[in-house]
This record gives sequence, structure tokens and C-alpha cells, in this order.
Amino acid sequence: MIMEKGFVENGFIIDLSTAQNTTQLVFELSSIMEHPDVKGKQICLKLGNLDLKQSQLLSIKALIESMNASIAFIDTESEQTEASAVSLGIIVSKVSENENAQIIQPQKFSDADEEKVIVKEEETKTVEVSADMDMPSGPVETAEGVEDIYDEMSTEELSEVIPSESFDRTDFGAFAANEGLLPNEETSKYILLDTGNVLPEGIEENSDSTGSMPTLYLNQTLRSGQTVSYEGNVLIVGDAHPGSEIVAGGDITVWGILGGIAHAGSNGNVSAKVRALKLNAIQLRIAGLYARRNDTLNVPYVQKSNEFTPEEALIENGKIVIYKKLRRD
Amino acid sequence: MTGRVIVITSGKGGVGKTTTSANIGTALAKAGYKVVLIDTDLGLRNLDLLLGLENRIVYTIVDVIEERCKLKQALVKDKKNPNLSLLAAAQTRDKTAVNAEQLKEICNTLKEKNDFVLVDCPAGIEQGFQNAVAGASEAIVVTTPEMSAIRDADRIIGLLATKEEITSTKLLLNRVRPNLIKSNEMMSVDDVVGILEIPLVGIIPEDTGIITSTNKGEPIVNDEDALAGKAYRNVAQRILGEEVPFLDLDEPKGIVAKIKNAFAKLKAKV
Repeated sequence: MIMEKGFVENGFIIDLSTAQNTTQLVFELSSIMEHPDVKGKQICLKLGNLDLKQSQLLSIKALIESMNASIAFIDTESEQTEASAVSLGIIVSKVSENENAQIIQPQKFSDADEEKVIVKEEETKTVEVSADMDMPSGPVETAEGVEDIYDEMSTEELSEVIPSESFDRTDFGAFAANEGLLPNEETSKYILLDTGNVLPEGIEENSDSTGSMPTLYLNQTLRSGQTVSYEGNVLIVGDAHPGSEIVAGGDITVWGILGGIAHAGSNGNVSAKVRALKLNAIQLRIAGLYARRNDTLNVPYVQKSNEFTPEEALIENGKIVIYKKLRRD
Repeated sequence: MTGRVIVITSGKGGVGKTTTSANIGTALAKAGYKVVLIDTDLGLRNLDLLLGLENRIVYTIVDVIEERCKLKQALVKDKKNPNLSLLAAAQTRDKTAVNAEQLKEICNTLKEKNDFVLVDCPAGIEQGFQNAVAGASEAIVVTTPEMSAIRDADRIIGLLATKEEITSTKLLLNRVRPNLIKSNEMMSVDDVVGILEIPLVGIIPEDTGIITSTNKGEPIVNDEDALAGKAYRNVAQRILGEEVPFLDLDEPKGIVAKIKNAFAKLKAKV
């Protein structure tokens, strides 16, 4: 099966050497693996110079084997990955130049709205295969780092309820998280703070409907140092500047840019949500979960802009999840 | 262990108290000392921004005083240096939320487990100033070579002299521009020291890098090449008791400038 120069028969070479991090790598690999042609084949992984720990490589192996395929060998420039492979009994070799096998290369990383995989056959003709996947709009980012899979097409269908349950990738995210691949601090927008129990004494978690709560309506800009605190929902028509703080027993809705701290469900209501036309909050807090904005997130110093991407944050499975459009419940 | 509590103050606003606090704190922590920075500028806090820690603040000094959390919970560790932590000011309260006794107690608790407690003082001479100096035994007065800043620094030095607990008051001259001093448009270091008559702990040159460092939340001492960063590292060494010569700010940097300078000297001779 494997020849001296890494020649693969009845197999594929999957080139993942352009992946920036393990999350991207696993994400792309999983989308390629869903391609029916890959099933039951020998796979050569081109991993470039990405450093993979033994546990990470093991979960990649498990992923491939779960699709009835197997790893023929890996091609890597990283010493760490090589050591991991050796300890797992995975063969390390080099892909030779004049290769007879098909090379599958993800077209683009991080741009998941273009779900296309190029299948390169015999290095001569390139066929573009649209990854025929049902892509529902699931959570785009969580406090623990599920990637952006924002589907541009779906923004026009605002009336449709997003079927988050049918989202396959979250299952994969959970799988990856268990295997130590996530959380990935580079890609997630918010990162949970390890605060312990922050709910005041005597307050218990609940999921009362926020719809029946009274709402405070404010038509103003909230400036640094200003606090709005209310037992029901808070609706602000205007921006909430960095340094401001909104604390609400129910939902927080900012019809503008949210840049300060927002604490929804402050009485322990885990069904409370934070939504804004632009969600740049320095900290997002829902009930007893506190998350900080990622340091790597390059929020422009001047946040004023005309580009709005309405987002909504809520708790799902004990995590803060952010949706890139508003759901209609 | 009993650490040193140093208040960084100025009287006038905008002369660089917070920048100085962040940089000296970072430099001392980099040298291996345990440092806590306290922001006492309630309602106008900035120190967290300069350190890039704004998103990590859950509890503030007011929460500690009003017993909503323990002091340890309110200390935010620096991203890079575990020796450095910050006790942030409350943004949504004002100076009256804290009194001098309470701050003194916090300083006393913190100095037991840290080598340095640096207190970043708000501008002015009212309650905020009184709170900030309450727990300190040393002071660094920051000023710039401008008449208004020096007048305010003079007032602060006078007020500090009436505080028995403050045993040492030193001067940090910030935003010095050697070329302006040369052309007699700016007061020289000697002029300022002559007026204020307290020992000098540092001369920091004007550096445009400060602006980007503030916006990025990354103290300039972390930049090995920046002149201001080097000057702040020297200040930290002087605080530690080492004798470090002041930076020679007059020396032109590039070779072209050196040649020009040589010609200028020749001309002067002729």
C-alpha cells in the first residue's frame, strides 16, 4: 500500500498545511471527511508545521476512523507532531512530488460561508465540488470556541427559526472539546471567566419567561460610568459606551452598539438574553456566567460604524452562545 | 514580608501618573518582585485600559470595601506577568465611596504579601488624593516641564510634607523634549529640580510610542527598543536602590544626526 516515497494507492492526500490552528484543521478535515468519496480510503494527511499534541493527533485519528477511513501516513514539518505520531504508531513520511493520488485541499480556511471543497484529480483537471451539506445557522461562537459558521444566505430569512438542535457541527465541537482540541482562545469571541459562584446568596438559578417581565425603555446614549439597573427587561435605543453597565433581571436589548458590561438575568435567570446591533461588550454576563471579550479580538478604537451585525447571546448547555442574527422564539 | 507602598501623584491631570504607575509596576514585576497596582481614580479609571485588563474586571475596590467580595478575588492578574496584579477602581461610583481609613487598611493588607504596592492617585487635592496617600510611606511626584504642572507639583509636595507617614518624596520628570530644552523653549531638568528641590527618580523623554502603547493596552516598558521604556526600567532600578545614570537624551541617534552635530560644533568654534 505504501511505497517508499509516500506514494498512496487507493487513497487521498488531504492537504491541511494552511490551517492556522487545530480548530481550523479539525473543522476543515471534518467537512472533507463528509465527502462520500473519502469513505473507506487510505488517507495521507499533510499537516504543515502545525504542532499537534498526542491527544490532539489521537482525536484526529479517531475522527478519520469514525468515517471508515484510515490514516496511511502523515506528512509534517513539526517535530512535536512527528513525536506524537511516533508514539501513536502513525507512520510519518513525505508526499512525493509526482503523486498519483488525489489531493483534497480546502479552498479557504476561516471563511466557512463558502463551503466548497476542491477535489484535485491527477493534478491536471480541477473539479469544484460544492460540499453538499445542509448548513443550518447554528451558534457562530460560544464562550468555549465553536467557530464561525455564519451562513450569509440565511440572513434574508429572518422569519425562520434557526434549528440549533439539528446543527451537526456542535456535536463535533463537543467531541473536539472532550479531546482537548478546544477551547481555542484564538477564534472565540468571548471567553468564560472562572469566577466561581457570583450569584448573591439566596438567589437560585431559574428560567422564568422574560416575556412577561416589565420593560424599561430608554432612548439615550449610555456613557462611561453610567449604570442602568432594572428588575425586568432593558431596552436601549442608542449606544452603550465602554465603561457603562447595564444590569437587568430579564433581557437586555441595545438598538445600537453595546460596548460596556451587560448583565442579563441578574437574578439568576438563565433564559435571559443580550442582544445588540453590534455586540462588542467588554464583558457579557448572563445569570451566573461571566465571559470576557477575547483579547485577540480587534475591536476598533473608535467603535462607531455603519456596519451592523445583529447578534444575540444566550445560555445553551451551560455555555454562553452567540447567534449572528436574531431568533424569533 | 512587608512591602513598600508608593503613591504616584501629581496634582495636575494629564501629566502621566497612570502611565507611570503601569510602567513602573510592570518593570518591577519583570524584575521578579510581587507588585500590586491600585487604581484609586474612582469614576475615571484608566489603569485597567493601559494594562489591557478591562475585560477581566469583575470586582473593584468598592466591592472589597463594601464586602461583596474578598480582597483576593478582586485582584486581577496581568496577562503576561503573574507577579503583577491590579485592584481596579469602580467606574460607576465616585470618590466618596471610599475613605482614607479603608484604603489604608487595604494597603496594609496588601503589603504583607507583596514587595510593592503602587497607588495610582487621581488628579486634584481633594478626597481622592487624601485617600490615595493614606496608606503610602513613599511618594513619587510626576510632573512635566511646564509652569502649570510644576506649580501643582509644588503644591502636592507641600501637602505630602505635612503627612507624617510619607518618609520619602521623589520627582519624576515626564515628557521631556531635549530639542526644545536646547533651543531654550522648554525648562531644563536642572531648572525643574531647582524649583521643586526634591531628589529626582527619573527623566522620561517624550515618546509617541506611549500613544500606541496606551491604545493597545501594553505598557511601553515591554518594548525593549523604546527610549521611554528604557527610562522607566531605569526608574524601577532606582526604586530598587541601584544607582543608574540618567539617560543622555541629548545624544543624537542616527549617524547623519551625529555628523550634523559635529559640523554644528565646528561652526560654533569658527
